[in-house]
Amino acid sequence: MTAATTAPAVGKESLPDAGAAPAARVRNLRKTFGNVVAVDGVDLDIPAGSVLGMLGPNGSGKTTLIRMLLGLTRPTAGRVELLGRDHDLAAALPDVGALVEGPGFHPFLSGRDNLLRAAATEPRLDGDPRGPVDAALERVGLADAARRRYRGYSLGMKQRLGLAAALLVPRRLVVLDEPTNGLDPAGTRDVRRVVAELHEAGTTVLLSSHLLAEVEAVCSHVAVLQHGSLLVSGELSSLLEAGAGELVVTTDDPAAGVVALRAAGAGAYHRDGGVVVPAGTLSPPEVVAALVRAEVGVWEVRRDRAHLEELFARLTEEDA
Amino acid sequence: MTATLPAPSRAASRSHAPLSRLVAAELRWVLRRPRTLVVLGLLALIPVAVAIGIAAAGAPESGRGPGLIAQVAGNGFVLPVVALGLALTLLLPLAVASAAADAVAGEAAAGTLRGLLISPVGRMRLVVMKSAGVVTVAVLAVVIIAVVGMVAGTVVVGGPGSLITLSGTTLGFGEALGRIALVATWTVGQLLAVGAVALAISTLTEHPLVVLASVLGGMIVFGVLSAIPALEWLRPLLLTTGLTAGTDVLRDPLPLDGLASSSLRALVYVVVGMTITVVRMRRRDA
Repeated sequence: MTAATTAPAVGKESLPDAGAAPAARVRNLRKTFGNVVAVDGVDLDIPAGSVLGMLGPNGSGKTTLIRMLLGLTRPTAGRVELLGRDHDLAAALPDVGALVEGPGFHPFLSGRDNLLRAAATEPRLDGDPRGPVDAALERVGLADAARRRYRGYSLGMKQRLGLAAALLVPRRLVVLDEPTNGLDPAGTRDVRRVVAELHEAGTTVLLSSHLLAEVEAVCSHVAVLQHGSLLVSGELSSLLEAGAGELVVTTDDPAAGVVALRAAGAGAYHRDGGVVVPAGTLSPPEVVAALVRAEVGVWEVRRDRAHLEELFARLTEEDA
Repeated sequence: MTATLPAPSRAASRSHAPLSRLVAAELRWVLRRPRTLVVLGLLALIPVAVAIGIAAAGAPESGRGPGLIAQVAGNGFVLPVVALGLALTLLLPLAVASAAADAVAGEAAAGTLRGLLISPVGRMRLVVMKSAGVVTVAVLAVVIIAVVGMVAGTVVVGGPGSLITLSGTTLGFGEALGRIALVATWTVGQLLAVGAVALAISTLTEHPLVVLASVLGGMIVFGVLSAIPALEWLRPLLLTTGLTAGTDVLRDPLPLDGLASSSLRALVYVVVGMTITVVRMRRRDA
């Protein structure tokens, strides 16, 4: 398993190319609460237009990082840049929608009245706020319960209302902290749909979650935090590639195959009647070409794609 | 406190909602809150209760010196002054403290402070908006007691008209109204002092009850301190010292010393309270 130990290094520095300015960027960001280090020198870019899933065990600093990004708490050290602004974060906030640390609303008002109150403070909203409010309620599937008091909402409905507040006006960046908490499967599907719609509209989405399948389903990029440090960040597909990597060749003459591939420069070895080519040596076409040249019959060349779950487990265990 | 921030009105590119809209939204929220309505309703009952008590007790016995409440019996317009004086000892300060508690600590507890800051409502705008809410509750509470007091006094005693002062003179209708307006304004001033301090405490905690308990405890401690002879030098500093000055409007000629000095004291409390509020609000985590 040499591939496993080298894999994280591949992802670690895969920061997105310069060119398009990132929607958000943090540099050497640090936050301590007394002796506790919540976020420890994180460098992270959130590429514009991406859906970045932020993963990490409980207490890994995800929410603290998000809170610093949104100006809810001051970094102990480091720099935050939001939509190109680094001095005056508040100037970027009208274009940022957020659901952080669960939905916050007043119990004595209906869902709709809560949103109307939120709409009054939205700088980008002018004129009658009822249209945008009703549209947002419709979008998160809460139109039927809109006039009921927030007090009587289920956890999932509260979560949907929080999502609606983040979607009141078109945003350039939407930050969702554990958006599927308390949602039933239908609610989870709705969140996926909303994230997909945002992505399609060019909105950057930052999604923190501990549901790996959720992140794998909707995210283009991932960042993994542990103990306040960034373990890895980059494009989801390349991280998974790097994580799996090895090619499995099915052939009727494994011995000859191993010899041929070793001659071609790959550290191939024999396993379970097939030939395994570790990641980072030869590409699939090169492997096939080498085997064909050596007149070894190739039945199948297959790459076992890793799942995020395995990658995550490996990353967080290694470091623990 | 106000007039610090000009409201930019560039619609699509502006970075803050107009201040007028923020204040309007805040007032709508304050006045829809069940707690506010219940408190205002209860305060309206104070003059009614006093009026009923007087009607039940009948006219004062002749020969006894006129107590303040007995004075109302023959004299309807004294009722609002008496009711305000009674309420100011505890209930009005608690009503204002409760509004201040909900304003920041309550929003933090409900998780709505985050939403306001992310919108974003600028932190200084938030102070203006929240102060407007507290001031509104203070003014409404006082106006309700004064108006209900005048109506109840008129009903119990009959016939709106003159006001017989504690000094024995009679003031005409106009001057009587003026005296009531004066004591109402002065009462609002005292309440703003309580409100500013309560707002400052509200920015320091996430528990609205801490604000109420602090104000209640503070009033009790101040009362105790002012009763200790050895601490007489402290009395000019205590907000509770001048809280009874309101009944001065029932004297003729009108003595202004008590009203003026207690108003000045209230102003100092407002300045201190708002300074803490602003400093704390600028740094507060949400």
